[in-house]
Amino acid sequence: MGKDTKKKRRKAYRKPVKWPFLLLFMTVFQMVCMLQIYINGTQESTTTLFVVFGVYIAVEWLYFLVFGGFLRRKSFEIELIAFFLTGIGLTLTTSVYPDKAYTQLIAVLLGIGVFAVMLWILSDTKRVIRLRMPVAVLAVAALAVTLIIGKEINGAKNWIIIGDGLLSIQPSEIVKIAFVFVGAATLEHLQSTRSLTKYLLFSLGCIGCLFIMKDFGTALIFFFTFIVMAFLRSGDIKTIFLVCTGALLGGIGILTFKPYVAKRFESYRHIWEYASTSGYQQVRLLIYAVSGGLFGLGIGNGKLRSVYAATEDLAFGMVCEEFGIIIAFTVLLTFVALVVYSIRYASAARSTFYSIAALAASSLLLFQAALHVFGVTDLLPWTGVTLPFISRGGSSMMCCWGLVAFIKAIDVRTYKRYDKITADGKERSR
Amino acid sequence: MKTLSRRAWILYALVFAFLAGLCILFYTFFTKADTWAMKKENRHIYRSGTLIAAGTITDETGAVLADTVDGKRVYNNSKDIRTATLHVVGDSQGFIATGVQTAYKDTLTGYNFADGIYDIKKYGKGNNLQLTVNAELCAEAYNALGKNKGTVGVFNYKTGELVCVTSKPAYDIGNKPTENINNDRTGAYEGVYLNRFFSGVYTPGSTFKVITAASAIDNIADIDSQKFKCSGVHKVDGGSVKCMGTHGTIDFERALNVSCNSAFAQIAIQIGTDKMTQTVNTLGFNQTHTVGNIRLAKSTFDVTGASNLDLGWAGVGQYTTLVNPCHMLTIVGAIANNGQAVEPYLVEKITTQTDRTVLETKPTTGAQMFKAETAKKLQEMLRSNVANYYGDGKFRKLEMCGKTGTAEVSTNEGGDKPHAWFVGYSGREDLPYAIVVVVENGGGGSSVAIPVANTTMQKVAEIYGKK
Repeated sequence: MGKDTKKKRRKAYRKPVKWPFLLLFMTVFQMVCMLQIYINGTQESTTTLFVVFGVYIAVEWLYFLVFGGFLRRKSFEIELIAFFLTGIGLTLTTSVYPDKAYTQLIAVLLGIGVFAVMLWILSDTKRVIRLRMPVAVLAVAALAVTLIIGKEINGAKNWIIIGDGLLSIQPSEIVKIAFVFVGAATLEHLQSTRSLTKYLLFSLGCIGCLFIMKDFGTALIFFFTFIVMAFLRSGDIKTIFLVCTGALLGGIGILTFKPYVAKRFESYRHIWEYASTSGYQQVRLLIYAVSGGLFGLGIGNGKLRSVYAATEDLAFGMVCEEFGIIIAFTVLLTFVALVVYSIRYASAARSTFYSIAALAASSLLLFQAALHVFGVTDLLPWTGVTLPFISRGGSSMMCCWGLVAFIKAIDVRTYKRYDKITADGKERSR
Repeated sequence: MKTLSRRAWILYALVFAFLAGLCILFYTFFTKADTWAMKKENRHIYRSGTLIAAGTITDETGAVLADTVDGKRVYNNSKDIRTATLHVVGDSQGFIATGVQTAYKDTLTGYNFADGIYDIKKYGKGNNLQLTVNAELCAEAYNALGKNKGTVGVFNYKTGELVCVTSKPAYDIGNKPTENINNDRTGAYEGVYLNRFFSGVYTPGSTFKVITAASAIDNIADIDSQKFKCSGVHKVDGGSVKCMGTHGTIDFERALNVSCNSAFAQIAIQIGTDKMTQTVNTLGFNQTHTVGNIRLAKSTFDVTGASNLDLGWAGVGQYTTLVNPCHMLTIVGAIANNGQAVEPYLVEKITTQTDRTVLETKPTTGAQMFKAETAKKLQEMLRSNVANYYGDGKFRKLEMCGKTGTAEVSTNEGGDKPHAWFVGYSGREDLPYAIVVVVENGGGGSSVAIPVANTTMQKVAEIYGKK
């Protein structure tokens, strides 16, 4: 390690953000959200309202006090973004579905739990390699089981419902974590063509299952993630191009030979003509998104909330109308921040596993956000995918927090005190 | 590691694609917001297809014509005023396209991209709109039309304020006879959603002679010394232009007084198609005009390839010529204003609930329609019409100048009665108001349209006159 690396390392670790100030700012924002719900009375139970926000804000502070105060970690950009987005989602659910507020809070807590567990797993690359195979098998199995016992909701058979609606999970969301995990781990230790073949089979299996479930949006996200990881590993743009062309042709083929698939996209670019049928939700989204103006109407004052599945499928519109277009676009920019963060830190990671995982996870989130936002606003065909962190749903909350763990793990400072990291930053050098 | 971080840069392409998408999205939002927010599906603004969020609409005196109270649209207390101002105010479902409630709905609701519909939430209604019309005057004019369909318009030819706009048939918006309108077989509600003043076009009949006269003054040097023979019919090219009377030998001014078809057919043929077309185009025929957000029906005059017989008929306001009443009013106003047209306007100003002015109409001059000396000559002739022919007794103390019209709309005997027209203005200095009256199938211009014009103008004098 020469002088150059030293310089580079210093450059890579930018000055960390001052978290106490930002956390305070965010807490005030969330308090204002809570107050608005209280004033508007959209959440009938004041106890529920205060418990949900109380617990959430307490968890935020606890997290930062433990990691920032006690363990003296630095660099909290990722968590700040995740907590900010989750707070917006929690506000919407608490206000729109008063009786589902606790469920969503539990989902958030589980998500943070997944985040912590993932961070622990990722701390040891040997553990990662050991877990690779079981995770892959479990992931494919979960999707296969969904195919058999899954329930079809809104045209996609991607739900498993246990105990008469007591617990409903979307396995494809959890599998997203596994997909990044297995992909990055396999590519890190690509010893033989046999393991590559196995990995290709795994990817194909996942994407295939999603296709059969008719969950095209998620299938597309998986395919995109696969492409990103394959490119990062091989750098072979020609092959990637070939695969994409093949997929595109396949897509066109499906649209040609399976008219029912094409019918799902009949209203694309024509939503106003289908305003009372298949374009119903999107038309409302556009109308109410611009009704809120730049600064929003305030929580509880919107009308989009009464449209079917507003907090899930139309989350972007909900944020536009009630929080305002400025906050809505800020939300979208935070997904960009995650990718940029991963790119900047890719060279400082301990191994390629961390880089690939972080880049894949962050671009997955950005891609999903893009599909959601541009789909629902009719710029792209609408696939009905949710907006990460904001849309209501337990499985997707766990998925999102699980994925940010990959981004968090890229930074060595996640596991070490910043002031104790030596010039070359490697753990083993100490 | 190094190669990987280099490859990672390709993800910037993804980032840029996303940012470009966001820019497109924002641009789409920004440009389409008005259209989207005004859609009937927007329950902030509409409730079951009815506009609920518009502000208060008042007339020039401040009398409330329409208002939103507790999320409901309410109208003036007087049934007469509600009916007479129906077309100007418009309905809340958008049937009457030229009503300000529809034509100005985006401004009325106070929607803007930055604040969205925040004002509606806060004040329960959007922006207030003040009209230039006087509701009492509209009611007077509406009632003067009696049983007939038609329209009356009055404007200040110096400023352009439309003080009276009314169209018949109308209905009481406070008590809409939906059943009667939908099942109407008698024709009593024919074109009830149409504001005839803005959207109607009619055969102008003899009122068009004013325009032919203007063209003659400009294009025929010795027009004043010419004499015209009328034997009750003027024969051209094997056909004939019929006259209402047998006027013998008359001069130019007298020909306009008595509205002699024979004389004006000869004059039009003398002028020729090219010069006639030139004149009407200067006056804004064959062009689309607007009054604020309201688009007027197009007045048309086309004599390309017309025979002398057709040109003769065109010169007396028949043939294929059609005129929009509001456009005709602007032309007469220009004559009164020494040739300079002033654009009529209907919306005085629009203010927010916090009294900030969003829109305020200022008097705007339009085209120089006539040369000043031509306008002067026409003023004399129009005054002569009333003084020497119709009689000042028909317009007491108004010093009216004007021209009637009896526009034939049926070629067969016993067909529909002709449209009765009157266009003119008061010659009084303190009453710079011009008027147009069209009574559909009313009959003769002087017997039917003049009384309507008189009633309306007397009210105008009562309201605005200083004598």
